Amino acid sequence: MLSRLTPYFLVLPLISFIAVFTYIPIASSLNLSFREWDFLSPTMPLVGVENYRLLFSSHEFWNSLKVTAIFALVSVPIRLGLALLVASYLVREVLPSRILRGALFLPSVTSTVSIAVVFSWLFATDYGMINAFLQTLGLGKVPWLQDPQLALGVLIIVNTWKQLGYDIVIYIAGLQAIPQELYDAAAVDGGRKGRVFRRVTVPLVMPTTYFLLVVSVIEAFQVFTVVDIMTKGGPAGATDMLVNMLYRIGFTLFDIGQGSALAVVLFALLTALALFKARVLGRRVHYEA
Amino acid sequence: MLKNLKKLLLAGLIGLSGSISAAQAEVTVEFWHSFDGSGGEALGKIIENFQAANPDIRIDAQFIGNYNDIVTKLQAAIPARRAPDAVIMEVTRYGLFADRGVLMDLTEKVNADPLKDDLFDFAREVGVFEGKNYIVPFNSSTPVLYYNKEIFERAGFAEEPALKTYDDLLAVSKQITEKLGDEGITGIAAPGQFARWGLIMDNDSDLIDSKTGEILIDSPNTIEAYEWMASLVHEHKVASADGVTKENNGRDAFLASKVGIMLNSTGNYGRSKKALGDNLAVRPMPCNKVCAVPIGGAGIGILSSADKETQDAAYKFISFAASPESNAIWFAGTGYMPINKHTAEQPLAAAAVQDKPGITVAIDQLDFARGRPRPPVVTWMRATEYDMWEAMALGQREPAETLKDFADRTRKEAERTN
Repeated sequence: MLSRLTPYFLVLPLISFIAVFTYIPIASSLNLSFREWDFLSPTMPLVGVENYRLLFSSHEFWNSLKVTAIFALVSVPIRLGLALLVASYLVREVLPSRILRGALFLPSVTSTVSIAVVFSWLFATDYGMINAFLQTLGLGKVPWLQDPQLALGVLIIVNTWKQLGYDIVIYIAGLQAIPQELYDAAAVDGGRKGRVFRRVTVPLVMPTTYFLLVVSVIEAFQVFTVVDIMTKGGPAGATDMLVNMLYRIGFTLFDIGQGSALAVVLFALLTALALFKARVLGRRVHYEA
Repeated sequence: MLKNLKKLLLAGLIGLSGSISAAQAEVTVEFWHSFDGSGGEALGKIIENFQAANPDIRIDAQFIGNYNDIVTKLQAAIPARRAPDAVIMEVTRYGLFADRGVLMDLTEKVNADPLKDDLFDFAREVGVFEGKNYIVPFNSSTPVLYYNKEIFERAGFAEEPALKTYDDLLAVSKQITEKLGDEGITGIAAPGQFARWGLIMDNDSDLIDSKTGEILIDSPNTIEAYEWMASLVHEHKVASADGVTKENNGRDAFLASKVGIMLNSTGNYGRSKKALGDNLAVRPMPCNKVCAVPIGGAGIGILSSADKETQDAAYKFISFAASPESNAIWFAGTGYMPINKHTAEQPLAAAAVQDKPGITVAIDQLDFARGRPRPPVVTWMRATEYDMWEAMALGQREPAETLKDFADRTRKEAERTN
């Protein structure tokens, strides 16, 4: 009897930890999403689905959803494509590769706030280094963070720059797990580099791609710090991603009910996306060579 | 040996009990504020003096960030029961906290305090919400007009030009940008929210009527003021858009001698003087249709959640911070206006008036200074105004249509929250 319960006892501390910091807050958010509260009032009256109705009828929510979807759809393929390309060049265990891997990984472990502040300076219209450089080339100033068409692109560049190193390191681990014999066999058969990459490397690194896809889509939907520091969701809502909107509703406009409703919608959206990816892409992932 | 050990043990016990009783006697007041740089230094000096005079009270002062950061952190700290004992609150944004019972009603304490009669009327008024006192003023300000003398000279102004109306400011800004734009110098910093409020008042309007609570965001004079402010950035390009998306960029550019004119709080006097030295000139805000400026700044409130002993200690501190001696340190160190009638008698304040030209401009404006509304909806309105201003200044939305929409939303929010 005791031996049957032992595994449960062993995982109990971890389950308790997750319950306190994940499951209880999720349940609490769900509860708050049906109430009206401003953090300060002693009462939290039930308002039914009013918060959801207000959310779905607001232009801001649909704009945020669109902006977040664009951010994810553009940034994730760029990140993964670039990371695989760079990783395939850095996979060999030689000193320059190791140094470059370290250099590329550095932004991943650097404070996002520091990165966002530095890039804000770089991309400033009148006082930024990038425009100063463009002017030395005889080009005009570009309103990087003030033009709605450009601001999201800048955030994608900054986020890609920060996350690329992590993706590269994971890809290198995936590439190193591919048996060398397969490349040798392809070489004997006269396979060209590009074809070998497409037919051998890409399919066999699929489990890593799948893992990075899941992680990076979740991360893209939860981007906040870079937005908060660099644009605060502006200009004119052009970078107002879902978590930024959630923060604004909850912590600036004091509407915890509607903020919680948005958190629940975001949770449902990410769960649906994860299930979709598992159904559609999970089948194409091969874990054996 | 054993005797010595016993003696040592006894001495240790006495020492321990002594330190425990001393620790028990000390009341610690956790105080959240928003002052760094010269403000932080001046506040540190005031706290040091207070603790020297009250050795049984310790002020645990914590810099939290700007006024917005304090509001955000405070609202999250209250349900988590981690709120401080005393907090600096901006004069238009404490109404919500007073209305919800978060701030202690200080009316009785203020009425019993001789300080009440020493405070200027404008300073006493900022602490009153719906007839009760919730904060004691600490740093009061009005926006003023700063300019860089060297930039003016280099732009061809041998004498000081007129800086009275919107047209005057635009003409000067255009000349600076035309003459010195190649060096990356612009005429004027995009006005921050406090200055925007001042420019709206100069145009004989307001955002919310402080007496009736009527929303005036879409009134013709407010629309006209926003149209002019937005045109500085979008149409005439005499103000950098960098100062629109990040308010402090405009101020930082002025401090770096990259901007000719800045409209900003008198609380920026200290850092501006430090950055520009004798090149700094300070003038009153323009009087486009009328002469009027908003009273800004903040006061210190006490949290209802603190225990009585801590509340008493906290009040002792905030009363001390508003005393002539402390207020003189604050005035001389930062440029914020004196709030105490006797501050000017202090040698430190007298020396500041003598040595720091321009420091008294804000005081001179008090004749036409106006209080601002502080019903709960103001917190929402001010948070939302940033997005509206950004859209107008960057030319993404027409001011009239934007302000109509903003006014409608503010009215709805006022119904919900007030």
